Amino acid sequence: MDIYILGIESSCDETSFSIVKNGVQEISTVISTQIDIHKEYGGVVPEIASRAHIKNITFVLEECLERANMKVEDIDAIAVTYGPGLIGSLLVGVECAKTLSFLYKKPLIPVHHIAGHIYANNLVKRLEFPLISLVISGGHTELIYMEKDYSFKKLGSTLDDAVGECYDKVAKVLDLEYPGGPKIDKLADRGKITYNLPIPLNDDTYNFSFSGLKSAVINLCHNEEQRGKTINKEDLAASFQDVVIKSLTKKTMHALKEYNVKNLILAGGVAANSGIRESFRKLCEENSINYTFPDIKYATDNAAMIASAGYYAYLDGRRADLTLNATSSDELK
Amino acid sequence: MRLFYIDTSSNWLLTGIYEDNKILAEVKIKLGSLMSKSALEKVAEVFRKSSIEPTDIDKIIVVSGPGSYTGIRIGMTIAKIYAYTFKKEITTITSLEAMNLSEDLKETYAVSLIDARRGFVYAGIYKDNEIIFKNQYIKLDKLLDYIKTLNAKVTFITDQEYIKTLEEILIEKEFAETNKNYNVIEYTKNLLNIVSKTKDKKEINPHLVEPTYLKLTEAEENLRNVHYDN
Repeated sequence: MDIYILGIESSCDETSFSIVKNGVQEISTVISTQIDIHKEYGGVVPEIASRAHIKNITFVLEECLERANMKVEDIDAIAVTYGPGLIGSLLVGVECAKTLSFLYKKPLIPVHHIAGHIYANNLVKRLEFPLISLVISGGHTELIYMEKDYSFKKLGSTLDDAVGECYDKVAKVLDLEYPGGPKIDKLADRGKITYNLPIPLNDDTYNFSFSGLKSAVINLCHNEEQRGKTINKEDLAASFQDVVIKSLTKKTMHALKEYNVKNLILAGGVAANSGIRESFRKLCEENSINYTFPDIKYATDNAAMIASAGYYAYLDGRRADLTLNATSSDELK
Repeated sequence: MRLFYIDTSSNWLLTGIYEDNKILAEVKIKLGSLMSKSALEKVAEVFRKSSIEPTDIDKIIVVSGPGSYTGIRIGMTIAKIYAYTFKKEITTITSLEAMNLSEDLKETYAVSLIDARRGFVYAGIYKDNEIIFKNQYIKLDKLLDYIKTLNAKVTFITDQEYIKTLEEILIEKEFAETNKNYNVIEYTKNLLNIVSKTKDKKEINPHLVEPTYLKLTEAEENLRNVHYDN
C-alpha cells in the first residue's frame, strides 16, 4: 500500500509543504522563501521570520495540495520539523502540524531537521547503508554514521560556528550581499590560493571549528587595510574555501576509512557549494566511495526532505502526540 | 450557532465552545511558557468535554493580539489552519477589545491595558463598546496625559499581574490630582460575554487573518528609524 506523507518545514526562513509518496517520490513541494525580506538586515531576523511564516502558512499549504491534486484526507501521516532551528519559526510549523493531526486524526511524526537534510538525498537516489553523511548548512556541521534507515550516530560536529554561518560572516567582511555563501563559492572559482589561513581544529577528532577561521579572515583584512593594501576578494575567497574544504574532507575521509564505509552523502545548504562538491567527487573517485549529493533544489531547507525522512520515521514507529513542542537544539537520535 | 473561541495572547490559554449564549465547554488556564506544548491538547479537551466535533462548529473567533508575540501565533495558527482546511467562518478581535467586551462597563471610559514593558503599554479606550482611542503601543505617560484630557470617569481594565504596578504608577504620577474619578479593575476573562458580542462580526478570509502586533520588530525599528516615544 502506498504511503503519502505531508511534510512541513519552518525551522528558519523558508515556509514549505510537500507531499512525498513512499519516501522517494515527490508529488508536490512548495517553498516560500524569505531571502528578500532578510536581505536588508544582512541575515535572518528571527521575529521577522516568525511573522512571515504565519502570514504564508495557509497559502503554501493550499498551493501544495492543489499542485498534488490531493486533500488532507488523502494523506497518511503528517511529518514536521520540530527542531533544531529558530524557536519562533519552528512553532508555527509544529502548531500547524498538530492542528492538522488533531482535525484529521492523522499520525503526527516529529522529524529532526538534520534527518531531513540527510534524506534529501533519498529523493535523488535511494540511500545505501552503511553510510556516512556530512551535514553542512548555515546552522549545522555534523558527521553522522547510519547503519540503516532512521538510525543515526553522531561522530562529530562543530564546536562553535556552523560552516554556512562562517561563509556568511566572511562574506559580510568582503561586503558581499546576504546570503554570501554562494557568492564566495563563485569568487573562489576565479581566484588563486594566495593568502595563508590556518586549518581549524586540525586534529584526529571528528569535530570541526570555524570561529577561528572567521576571525583569521577578519584579522587578515584588518591588517592588510592597515598596511594600505587592497584585498583581492577572489584570492581571499579561494584561500578561505580551500581551508574549509581541507578541514571537511580530511575528517570525512578519515571517518569513511575508520568505519570502513563505502557510501558518502553530502547534506545541507552548503552541499550546494560547487567547490566542496567537486573536491569530494575527486576524493571519492580515488577511494572508490559511492558518493551522493542532493539536487540543488533539495539542498536548502524544504519540506520534501522532511516528508521523505518522515516516511522512514513512520515505518520506524515514531509518533508524537498533541503535546509535541518545538526545540531550538536537540540531538539527532 | 456554535462558536469556537481561542486566545493565546497572554500567559493564559482562554478557549471554549459556545452555543446560543451558553457555555458548552471552556478552559481558562495559566500556561505561561507551556503554551506551545499544551494549548492544542486543551483545545482537544474542550471539544471532548462539549461532545462537539470540529466539523460541527459554525464560526471561529480568534484573539489576534497584542501581547506575547509567540503566544499570539499559537492560537492564530490553530485558528487559521482550522478555518482554512474545514472551510469555517473566522473572525478576529484584539486582546484589548476582548478585555473591554468581557467587562461590559457602562457610563465610564474603559481603558484596556496590557503591560508592554519599559514604560510602554498596549492600550485601547472604549465608551459603551465604541472605540474612541485606537489600539496602540504607547508610552504609559503619554496615554495618561491623553486620559486626563477626557475629564471624565475612567476605568482601567488590566491583567491581575499588572494591577498593583499600575495602581502604584497612578499614585506616583499623581493621576488622582487631575482625575479623581477613576478605578482599576481586573480583566475577569468572561468569554461568554466576549463571544456573545463578537459572534456576528464580519468573517475574514482565513489566508488574510493576521496577528495584531501593534509594534514593529526591533530590527525593523532600527532600520526604519522608528521611535514610538516621539
